[in-house]
Amino acid sequence: MPDAASPLGVRAPLSDVVAMLTQAAGESFIESAACDDMDEIALRPDGLLPVVTALREAGFNHLLDIGGTDHHPLSPRFEISYIFTAMPLGDQRDPHRLLNLKRMRLRVFPDDVEPVVPTMAELWPSADWPEREIFDLFGVHFAGHPDLRRLLNPDDWKGYPLRKDYPLRGLDRGFVPGGRGGAVPPVRES
Amino acid sequence: MSAGLSALVNNPDLTLSPGDDQDTLVLSMGPQHPSTHGVLRVMLRLDGEMVLSAEPEIGFLHTGIEKQAENLFWQQAITVVDRADYLAPLSNSLCYVLAAEHLLGIDGQIPPRARVLRVMFTELTRIASHLVWLGTHCLDLGAQSIFFYAFEMRERILSIMEFVTGARMHQSWFRIGGLGIDVPKGFLERMDDFIDRFPERLADMRAIVEKNVIIVDRLVGVGKISQQEAIDWGLTGPPLRATGIAYDVRRAHPYCDYETYDFDVPTQTAGDSYARFVVRLDEMSQAWRIIKQTRDRFPGGPVVIDDRKIVPPPKTEIQHSMEALIHHFKLVSSGFNVPEGHIYQAVESPRGEMGMYVTSAGGNKPWRVRWRPTSFYHTQALKRLGPGNLIADLVAIIGSMDPVFGDVDR
Repeated sequence: MPDAASPLGVRAPLSDVVAMLTQAAGESFIESAACDDMDEIALRPDGLLPVVTALREAGFNHLLDIGGTDHHPLSPRFEISYIFTAMPLGDQRDPHRLLNLKRMRLRVFPDDVEPVVPTMAELWPSADWPEREIFDLFGVHFAGHPDLRRLLNPDDWKGYPLRKDYPLRGLDRGFVPGGRGGAVPPVRES
Repeated sequence: MSAGLSALVNNPDLTLSPGDDQDTLVLSMGPQHPSTHGVLRVMLRLDGEMVLSAEPEIGFLHTGIEKQAENLFWQQAITVVDRADYLAPLSNSLCYVLAAEHLLGIDGQIPPRARVLRVMFTELTRIASHLVWLGTHCLDLGAQSIFFYAFEMRERILSIMEFVTGARMHQSWFRIGGLGIDVPKGFLERMDDFIDRFPERLADMRAIVEKNVIIVDRLVGVGKISQQEAIDWGLTGPPLRATGIAYDVRRAHPYCDYETYDFDVPTQTAGDSYARFVVRLDEMSQAWRIIKQTRDRFPGGPVVIDDRKIVPPPKTEIQHSMEALIHHFKLVSSGFNVPEGHIYQAVESPRGEMGMYVTSAGGNKPWRVRWRPTSFYHTQALKRLGPGNLIADLVAIIGSMDPVFGDVDR
């Protein structure tokens, strides 16, 4: 809930938020940075839930987006990025009170071979579909997700299309001269 | 049959069993149903006409735009990016272009004429998109004539677009570094004609629908969502502003000099379908105000930056300068490199906050373009908005969330 002293709903300056999150992350903390667009924290998945809980208490109540990135062949390979906004509640009909709303980005780096990240669907109902989408396109599992099925692709789809080692035209879907399953016309020998 | 569908159909609790106290029916609405505004399937569990649960199923329009963008040069990716939210293609490309310019470090150099034209055309896109929404939403509710009013006006906007960019829908006119081409002669006359004509037509349309008893009866109190829930479900844009939060990316995180324009952010407090309806009607007149200001400013000068490593030289120069020809060849055959980095760039599309989380690995293609699809979150919220309503009201709710399935499925 917004604080009377702070119309933006964020009780502490952002650097304090980062310091607090760093503390909440504990061992799983990797690094923090002040980017041009917003501050960000990188961490390993086991620290995600404490950090998110602390973030929510600090006023960052709007989960804007969850996105995935595959950094293959670099390691750590997978990055799950969460973007939060501190959205004030109550009578907020004056847009001038909503200038330069605070945002925060979490970058979570799960394991390369068996990527698992805790789900946030319990905390934000809006996390349901983005997590399913990342499972569908990257094969990253969300532990505790109530309904982790493919979202955009058919259920019997093979592979994870947005992984960098997945070819642009799909698995077994490249061009085959003469058509797939058909015989290749024999080369005529003169 | 998909696993999700079979789980629903094979569940004995969900099948029709007359006389039972579990007298419910599973109905698959769509994906060809006209009122789903594209290819949405909603798995409904019904008790009579009452919706007990609604589970939207998406992905029918998934074309892998994000994957395609990773496999094109930075400049080429604009064409696929345009095609996601097909009612507001310029908002998509604006978001992508701003992100790429920021990564290149040229965001401060964009010429004023290009900045003003970008604002003018994204606001035209907003009006055009809202007109499609107005026409089709009212068609769902049973009002026919407003559709023709809305599409007549939209046609005028699309012919301006065609006159300037050569394309009615997927303009791909915004480029990294400015615009693809300057506006042709006679553009300002057409704009003035539109600016003169639009307020009167909008007033006509409002007079038809706003206090119309059919519209009011169908929308007031339907699909109501509280402020807290709107935030929990990730809503932005008109659905969020209809709950009384004047969150607009143009104000909260200004881009393209929006902080220098004078406009209001329309809000309502009821949070129902009618509030969203009125917010969008008000937004059209605010967009018109911004367009009028861009027309009054309309500075001269170039529309692209003068950097041959990013923007190809003009054709006239290529004909007699070897260096210009080499620059052109290099840009067409291998593009340009963008420094390593990542950025989240958001714009206020007609549907709400549309963002892109763009990662560059230093190469000539984007490493990753993650979309924040506004309609995706708004469609997901049907799980919350649908239950407790009649089927007919669900149609009104889908229309009032204004999803575009190119944006949902990408």
